[in-house]
Amino acid sequence: MDIEVTESGLDAAPSTPRHPLGRRALLGVGLGGAAMSLLPFLSGRASATTPVEESTTTGVTTPPQRPTDPDVELLAVVQQVELTALALYNEALALSGWTDEHAVVITFIRQAHLAYGQSLSGLLGRRAPGVRSEQLFDELRGDFAGSVESVLAAAYALEASLAVTHGEVLAELQGTDAAALIASIQMNEARFGTVLADMAGMTDEADLLVEADAESLAGKV
Amino acid sequence: MNNELLPFDDSMVLGRRGLFRLGGLTAATALIAAACGTTEAGPVGRIGVGAGVPKLADAVVNDGVLLRTMAGIETSIANAYTHILEKGYLTGSSPTLPALGDLSALVKSFHDHHINSAERFNTLAVDAGETAWECGNSRLDSAYLAVIFDRVENGVAATDATKAIEPSDDPTRDMANLVFTLESMSASSSQALVQQLHVPPARAEAMQLGIRSGRHASVIALRIHPGGYVPGALSAAATAETTTTAGQDGAAPPPTPIPLPDAVPGQFGLLSPTIFIGGAGDENGVRLKLNFETPSLNSLSYPFDVCPEG
Repeated sequence: MDIEVTESGLDAAPSTPRHPLGRRALLGVGLGGAAMSLLPFLSGRASATTPVEESTTTGVTTPPQRPTDPDVELLAVVQQVELTALALYNEALALSGWTDEHAVVITFIRQAHLAYGQSLSGLLGRRAPGVRSEQLFDELRGDFAGSVESVLAAAYALEASLAVTHGEVLAELQGTDAAALIASIQMNEARFGTVLADMAGMTDEADLLVEADAESLAGKV
Repeated sequence: MNNELLPFDDSMVLGRRGLFRLGGLTAATALIAAACGTTEAGPVGRIGVGAGVPKLADAVVNDGVLLRTMAGIETSIANAYTHILEKGYLTGSSPTLPALGDLSALVKSFHDHHINSAERFNTLAVDAGETAWECGNSRLDSAYLAVIFDRVENGVAATDATKAIEPSDDPTRDMANLVFTLESMSASSSQALVQQLHVPPARAEAMQLGIRSGRHASVIALRIHPGGYVPGALSAAATAETTTTAGQDGAAPPPTPIPLPDAVPGQFGLLSPTIFIGGAGDENGVRLKLNFETPSLNSLSYPFDVCPEG
């Protein structure tokens, strides 16, 4: 069997004092390299970096990305409202009388409120309250414990109020992360109202589009 | 191969002094080149007289631009509904969606909402220091709506390479799906605006208009797909998820299936594109498919943009 040698004799030979790269040689090579790198700068004809342009000043302050301290207080209220909604849908699902189709939808909405509460926890960190509002829960609990029809009506009113609540909060929030999250929650809760109206058998366009005034829940927590 | 090493040539070695000389020579050359490098080439000459290179206006994206873009989108949607209503597409019956019913009154109220939304977005744009945008969004009109109407109403003429495509097999179905698509896009565009606007009250106002469009989308979705409340919900229409059946041997290929919409498509409000599929299939059964996205840099109404005449 042949033995293949891939290194040249020069590279493979042990280093000897006869051909090392010495300090002076290194100094010389370094000086040469430094001179070459300075060439464009000295000649003023080229640049190695993209020039930084001045940004246009619009006179508008860029909003913060993370929630500010006042934002945190608002978001804490929103989380309590969402966790209250979660608890109310738990009450609703404990009822008998749901059709399979309606049970799937109510479970979906329940899971959505859970996801909203968890998302707010992610945004608030240790400052998240993480609990429902007992005051609000006690106020609405009775509406979610009657017949399926009355629960659908109560859920319809709750989702309308939640959409209004988020609209109020959105008008105050400074941080863009929180605003984006609240907007995505508000959008779906608005559409839940239409779904619940259809499930309840409402056919009037104003009912389906939830045009009736609803009350904010922010002051009830 | 063998294991003999190559012969070593002493004359090839660059010694310490040699390296030092090389370094010095390099530095000297660089300095000379730098000292002589001050010549300016000047502008490139030209023959004859021609217009100079125009300086393009800055494409500034601010609250005013974003808000007047939304005004244009709302106007485009209203104009599309005007066209749909004038043609009477929504009063006819749909062979694909027999339970659809007459959507004219509903879409007329949607139209009025979008007119109102355009006015409110323009008011916000003026408050933000921009001028109002009084016409439709140019890109939405030309690259999406005109294309859809042309495909549905006229089909596509034959070319040397392709066969003709017939007008839509079900214009009522296509227009109902277009209404759902436009309402979904309006809702997601308003939602996308929240993250970009600087002023919180303007964000809330945009969402107030956006959630109305979202509810429109849900209502029309339930007319197209009764019982399709959420993804995975049980419904009588679930079995009719596609509008086509597999083709037999020798038969024309089946056209692209058109998925039925859901009233609430996800747990959070979506910013993803809404897909429109419609028109008759081509020789391979492929229908027109377009993604309706939230406004981006190529669809904004910049300060230097003006409404097209006419």
